[in-house]
Amino acid sequence: MNSYLASVNAGYFYGIVALVLAFITGMCLIFCVKSYRAGVAIGMEEKALRKVITSSVMFTLLPSISILLGVIALSGTLGVPLSWLRLSVIGALQYELNVAEIAAQGVGLSGLNLAELNIGAFVTIALVMTVGILGGVFCCIFFLKKYMNKLQGGNNQDATQDENKEKKPSFGAHATTAMFVGLCAAYIGSYIGKVMPGGGSDWMPLFVAGVAAACMAVFEYLIQKKQYLALENFSLAASMLVAMAAAVLVNLAI
Amino acid sequence: MSKATNNMTNQKAVSPQEKAAFFAEFNNGLHRIGRITLVLAVIMLVSVPFIVGAMNGVMPDMKGFLKGFATVGLIYIPVAIVEFLVYTPMLGVGGSYLSFITGNVTNMKIPCVMNAKDIAKTEAGTPEHEIVSTISVAVSAITTTLVIVAGVILLVPLQPILQAEALLPAFNNVVPALFGALGLKYFLKSPQIAVVPLVLMSVLCIAVPAAISQTSLLLIPSGGLALLIGYLLFKKGKL
Repeated sequence: MNSYLASVNAGYFYGIVALVLAFITGMCLIFCVKSYRAGVAIGMEEKALRKVITSSVMFTLLPSISILLGVIALSGTLGVPLSWLRLSVIGALQYELNVAEIAAQGVGLSGLNLAELNIGAFVTIALVMTVGILGGVFCCIFFLKKYMNKLQGGNNQDATQDENKEKKPSFGAHATTAMFVGLCAAYIGSYIGKVMPGGGSDWMPLFVAGVAAACMAVFEYLIQKKQYLALENFSLAASMLVAMAAAVLVNLAI
Repeated sequence: MSKATNNMTNQKAVSPQEKAAFFAEFNNGLHRIGRITLVLAVIMLVSVPFIVGAMNGVMPDMKGFLKGFATVGLIYIPVAIVEFLVYTPMLGVGGSYLSFITGNVTNMKIPCVMNAKDIAKTEAGTPEHEIVSTISVAVSAITTTLVIVAGVILLVPLQPILQAEALLPAFNNVVPALFGALGLKYFLKSPQIAVVPLVLMSVLCIAVPAAISQTSLLLIPSGGLALLIGYLLFKKGKL
């Protein structure tokens, strides 16, 4: 094992991650117990509350396995402990990889490339990944109480008015989609550029992206046309793993 | 209280006034605990890179951090604000604190809350919904943590295989794999937004090969252009 991978997979790092996750799990337990007791106190049936717990466990099991696949995909370059931490709290696979790539370029690397990574770059990448995703958390810390009070107050005062008033559609949801479209366009454009002689004639990134896209197209067909909705949770991670496997096979073949 | 909500409550127990007073106090408690635990969690999370650095005799490179964060912040801070404004009314107080610290909000927590809401037949904005959503987010986060812990325990013995030389092309191409799959999904969702940025970025990278290694900078004009096109289409009612 090279020294970089040994450092990012060190035993103490697992311990630190376990400690952080234990804290956050404890937080979840406290909220769960408090809410359960509050439900009973206001007269909700315990049977119904238990049903919510069981259904939430069942509902989460399959998507959690897909997150685990993401941990496998990330662990090859960033090690298991950081991938475990990043995909267990706040982030999601698409965010983590994109930010890791941006941060790697920020410290002067060509990207998330094992041959170039070192522990100094790793800690900077980890810091960018952590701080970059805290926007929502800070919004909750500073504005959630005010925002929810405003919403609840508004709901009470304008309940009748709201029933009659048509909701104005907002650009917010489209803005997030547009932002991600732009993000994907920049990356795909760079893979097309890489194929050209001036870009290094490296066709592997475009090939891998193409295989992942083809695989995702199959998933989208099955989800949208054939209504296999359960596949939605796996489509991204599974498409990535198939494309990554294709990279290995093609590399062995040539 | 609505008929639907009545289905899951024991009406003998509490009057509406008592319930409202209790709920206000309960929410204040959640805000207090939520803020304290979130601040502590942020401190712990930010400490991790510094601790790992200290153990290895290095520290994060602040210049590299600021350079990376400038791009990341430009993209993800607006996304975080939009997500906060859109999702918190669905998640409720407790559900929001937990969702934003445990992540996977859109792909897991929101569907989980919607599922729990349907099962319990509660309505958004009611105390019952607040309680059900908090329980469902908490249980979902704990389940994910346990599944990943089990997976990580299984992953550790597989380390030598995962680090085999033959698998290097797989891990070196994890980013193209992500954007290939994600690109198709988003391009299908909004083809009219995608065409121009995709063509322009491809032409730019072919004409100026030096731009290829600066993807983090390309994200800004590409994202900005997509936003502008999206906004114009939205204004024209074509989205």
